[in-house]
Amino acid sequence: MSDGTVLKNKESWKTYCLLIPTLIIFSIFMFWPFLYTIYLSFFDWNMITPTKEFVGLKNYIDVLSDRNTYKILGNTFIYIAFLLVINCIIPYLFAFVLDLILKRFNGFYKSALFLPAFISLVVGSILFTWILNPVSGPVAIILGWFGIEMPIWSKLDGWVILVLSLITSWKVFGYNFIVLYASINGISREIIEAARLDNVPLWKIFFHIVLPMSSATGIYVFIITIVQGLQYVFTPIKVITQGGPNYASSNAIYHAYHEAFVLYRTGHSAALSIMTMLIFFILLVLEFKFVERGIYYEN
Amino acid sequence: MKIKRSVAIPWHIIFIITIIILLYPIVFALGSSFKTLEDAYNNVLNIVPLNPTFENYITFFNSLPAFKITMNTFIIASVATIFKLITSFLAAYAFVFLQFKGKNILYFMLISTIFIPFTVTMIPNYLIISGIGLVNSVWGVILPQLANALGIFLMRQSMKTIPISLIEAAKLDHIGHARIMKDIVLPLVRPAVTSTGIWFFITTWNEYVWPVLILKSKENYTLPLALQMYISSEGGTNFTVAMAVSVITMIIPLTLYLIFQKYIIGTFTSSGIK
Repeated sequence: MSDGTVLKNKESWKTYCLLIPTLIIFSIFMFWPFLYTIYLSFFDWNMITPTKEFVGLKNYIDVLSDRNTYKILGNTFIYIAFLLVINCIIPYLFAFVLDLILKRFNGFYKSALFLPAFISLVVGSILFTWILNPVSGPVAIILGWFGIEMPIWSKLDGWVILVLSLITSWKVFGYNFIVLYASINGISREIIEAARLDNVPLWKIFFHIVLPMSSATGIYVFIITIVQGLQYVFTPIKVITQGGPNYASSNAIYHAYHEAFVLYRTGHSAALSIMTMLIFFILLVLEFKFVERGIYYEN
Repeated sequence: MKIKRSVAIPWHIIFIITIIILLYPIVFALGSSFKTLEDAYNNVLNIVPLNPTFENYITFFNSLPAFKITMNTFIIASVATIFKLITSFLAAYAFVFLQFKGKNILYFMLISTIFIPFTVTMIPNYLIISGIGLVNSVWGVILPQLANALGIFLMRQSMKTIPISLIEAAKLDHIGHARIMKDIVLPLVRPAVTSTGIWFFITTWNEYVWPVLILKSKENYTLPLALQMYISSEGGTNFTVAMAVSVITMIIPLTLYLIFQKYIIGTFTSSGIK
């Protein structure tokens, strides 16, 4: 008995040694900042003056009564919709097709589709700004052959969100595709082969076998498409439009940055960040509740 | 049952078109970076330069402290990668092979930070870095990145495949944890360590959001920060130079990917999600 306790104490001492580097970094740069941002959301401050003024819920009320907030929230949902179609639904379909239908060039397709994930989004933003230049870019020239005039996307509501989402997807698509492919590839071949022998059409195999059996991964990709996708979009927004024209391309993440480091309103920024996180959290809970019954956990 | 050709061929065409769209920007940048400005404007659709020139690369090295900028990027990526690998490896080892109170809760807390948007932590982190005087320093960029949740996750996935009996046997022989890690665990998870390391190196190399808050002066910039300066000249005369800087920024990540792609794809496809 006493022997066992000694061993346990020794073990736990060693455990903490192994975890301490991680815990220190996470405490200082993740957990404490998280709490401090909640604290800041109740104060009026500009990052420079020595004193912060306690204002209660005023920052939250300010953010909620600002008309721009609703424009930006609307934009955020439009971004989410575009990103989900391009980076969740299409990669799901591609992964299914590559695993079940295409038997040749599999390795090449995987490597090539994953490749842009390794390139900086600043590079992507710069390259696409030129490639999609509405007057002199290659795409505009080719569209011109067919008499189609390219919209000046960086100045038009809606268009600007679509193009910035496409630029972001250029980088994100491959990672999501690879993760989904791995999951579909891990489904037992016997079930799929049996369905095929029975001449079950491919779309039925997709909806009745593949989708339910890869749904744990599917949910993971769904979540990162929203949570990380919106953060990835930050880069093209900052590099190309700075949220303009007139907030038309800003989203909740970019606007929190804008409030903090351009307008120096830390209270507004903190309140907006906390609310964004709550919205993410609600989305996650809804998603889990909604699909919980259908989940099939791999492994 | 075999898939009919009439089904497969259209999908091959869709895949190839998608790949052309995804890879075209890279080829476009490479070609334009060796063009003269006149050539770039007159022959937009022509990928191959008429009179290949290194002028754009030379301009970049003359107009900015390009060598210093490249070194900054390299230092940040290497130091952060090494530390993240060590801290992730140690933490993953503890989570897989040791029993302690609150293990699952702690793991869940660390991993759930992957889903916290960076805006929630950016102001306090900026205040910390500025409080210790590291604004405008590469160390200010590195410091918050010495540990990483994704790293712990990927290493844990890989270590879970090691039979626990192997570790138990070593413990019975009174082999210490340090030697178990070095002689048993590390050799077995080396592919995961390699590809996680490359993934870290590339993501830190490409990083933009945090450096843009911390680094203020050009000689402390990283490559992505130097590159974003060329956007302001939209329609201006720096187009071909911007392409050269783009090529310099992406050449190292692409080379690493092309060399190690088997490892990398292997780690991301075998790790699973849970």
